[in-house]
Amino acid sequence: MRPLPRFRNLPVTLRVPLVMAGLMILLGFLASQSVLSALGKVQDARLSETARLHVEGLSVALGPSVLRQDVWEVYDILDRARSAYDGQRLLLSIVADERGRILAATDPRRAPVGEEVAGFEVGAVPPDAVRMTGDPVLRVAAPLLFQGRQIGQIVTELDVTDLLAERRNVSMWLLFGNAAATALLAFGGWLAVAKILRPVGALVSAMDDSQGAPRPIAESDIPRGDPGLSRLISTYNRMTAAVESRAEAERRLAERERFVSLGRLSSSLAHEVNNPLGGLLNAADTILSYSDRPEVVRQSAELMQRGLSHLRDVTRAILDENRLDRVGQALRPEDLEDLKLLFEPEVASRAQRLHWNVEAGLAGLKGLPAAPVRQIVLNLLLNAGAAAGQHGQVGLDVTAGEGQFLIEITDTGPGLGQADLGRLLASGPLPPGGGVGLRLVHDLVSQLEGEIQHDRVGDKTYVRVTLPLKDASHA
Amino acid sequence: MKSTRRAVLMGLATAAAPFVATRSWARGPAPFRFALTPVFLDNDAAVISALRAALAEGMGQDIELVQRRTYQEISGALLDGSVDAAWTCGYPYLQHKTELSLLGVPVWRGRPLYQSYLIVAKDDPATALSDLRGGTHAFSDPDSNSGFLVTASDLARDGQTPDQFFSRVIFTYGHRNVVRSVAGGLTRSGSVDGYVWEALSSAEPDLTARTKVIVRSEWLGFPPMVARADRMDEPSVMACKAALLGLSATAQGTEALKLLSLDAIEPGEDALFDGIAARIAVLSGG
Repeated sequence: MRPLPRFRNLPVTLRVPLVMAGLMILLGFLASQSVLSALGKVQDARLSETARLHVEGLSVALGPSVLRQDVWEVYDILDRARSAYDGQRLLLSIVADERGRILAATDPRRAPVGEEVAGFEVGAVPPDAVRMTGDPVLRVAAPLLFQGRQIGQIVTELDVTDLLAERRNVSMWLLFGNAAATALLAFGGWLAVAKILRPVGALVSAMDDSQGAPRPIAESDIPRGDPGLSRLISTYNRMTAAVESRAEAERRLAERERFVSLGRLSSSLAHEVNNPLGGLLNAADTILSYSDRPEVVRQSAELMQRGLSHLRDVTRAILDENRLDRVGQALRPEDLEDLKLLFEPEVASRAQRLHWNVEAGLAGLKGLPAAPVRQIVLNLLLNAGAAAGQHGQVGLDVTAGEGQFLIEITDTGPGLGQADLGRLLASGPLPPGGGVGLRLVHDLVSQLEGEIQHDRVGDKTYVRVTLPLKDASHA
Repeated sequence: MKSTRRAVLMGLATAAAPFVATRSWARGPAPFRFALTPVFLDNDAAVISALRAALAEGMGQDIELVQRRTYQEISGALLDGSVDAAWTCGYPYLQHKTELSLLGVPVWRGRPLYQSYLIVAKDDPATALSDLRGGTHAFSDPDSNSGFLVTASDLARDGQTPDQFFSRVIFTYGHRNVVRSVAGGLTRSGSVDGYVWEALSSAEPDLTARTKVIVRSEWLGFPPMVARADRMDEPSVMACKAALLGLSATAQGTEALKLLSLDAIEPGEDALFDGIAARIAVLSGG
């Protein structure tokens, strides 16, 4: 079963000539078989005729001598028949009387006078039934008839070495001839098919080389002489353009996603900015009203300082999220703190409890890029927050160790639907409707060669993202 | 008139011509019939035709060479007159001593004598007749001296017969066949005419090379040419005798003798066959 898939993996330019060569070999084999079978029939007929004539001739000549049991006459006839017979076909002829005792043989040393002929009849067949068996010596036995009655037996050994050699020669010539013809035709077929299929080969290599982004085939390489193939390649080129524009759209969509996530934060962030503003205005009023009381002024100024620095932190976090020039920078612990700052108002607005546990120190973040990791964590947090609802729980655990960076997001929401899981865990086409946030997480994790696991234990949803930590020198 | 007479004579001659021709065809002298055994002239057409031509020349008359398979047939034909003369063997000559007379005895290697050989296959370890006990044996002819009598009388001296001594005995009716039988392995041993074996060793060395001679008999009288004793005075028989004895004097005769590996044919005498007679005595006495 193994060679079949391998054969399927071969290029079509090789497979077609191979199939053709296979068919040629089959054809050659069948043709050779029929030639050999015809030759075999001719040889069998020749043998049978030789044996029959020999036996009949001897019967006529030997009859009276065998009747008289005249050993010398029988030997004399056999001996003269042998020397008169051209070729070496007849190896041995034995004549026995009706009791099966040898009267004479062409080689009396092998078949002495008076011995039983039975020993020489082993494997012997009648002249009409003699066939090539692959044995170089064939035995023929026939009754010796004289005046219509059997007076003895004739056993003859036929030497068919020459016929076997002829058969072998023909087989060899057929083998070599067919092999040469097959090789020649297979080579010619390969050349022809390779020429015909060259555009297909170009198409295949264009699809293979592109690492997921199909490369269009140059106009000059499109075979105009083959309408079917040129239409196929034109279609392919249109398809590559469509794929490219889709990829471009996805890229833009991902770019926008950052703004989308910020947009989702905007109302809570507006509160976050607005809330301190009331306190700050109160503090300013207090300073104006109690400008002569230094301790009140100091207290209010400290209050204002704290509120302003919080506002500064929030705006910096928003700015950092939007800054394009940070692309490619390494992840720092501050990035996770920024995310907490951005996400906390969202939690507060829903009266949720936030579990925030970042164990990874600076050393643990080595080699991870800031922008995609922030995007992954923020998207998952926003999703978890939305899922957990009012008074729910959202959690983040970040740990690092053994070359892995592990992000675990939990929520007490109702769990991810099938469509959401499809976006998060699979690479299949996006189902219509719904956002692209989870798919973006999936794509970013894939780019970082990480893994996403989803788990639902009790009323909690776990989404674990495992990212491999690379050598710091690569970062 | 002259022309008329000539025309009449021509006409008579023309009318008589078929008559004359028919007469000579129907009533010409019958050819002299000379019998040969294939015992030592086996399948050799060149030898037979040379001998026939030489004898016909010597006798001045047509001659027919008659071949028979056995000495017995030759003897029978001689005695009943269906052949006029024969080249036979010393043994049948002595068997019919009273009815037959010598025409001549061939001279081989300077003497009218020859030997009988006991032969075996080239790789056979036997060195004597006694080593061949229980084997198969090929004789030439039951009336042949060298091809039967010698071996049979040797066995008779020990009180044995060929059928007892050998497991199987065959008669090949030809000395060349005895050599073929032993060379081909049909029989283990054979009794053969020494003259024939020697002639074959030059003509067919491949055949005799597959055999070897283990026993040679004493020198015995060469197979003679004979005719019926009561016909010795007939002109044709006398002419035949003269032609035989004069073979070495004519070109054709010399050619025929050369083909037969013989030197000449001499008148010969009965004493030449005393050795054979002694062996006959052993066989019949045993």
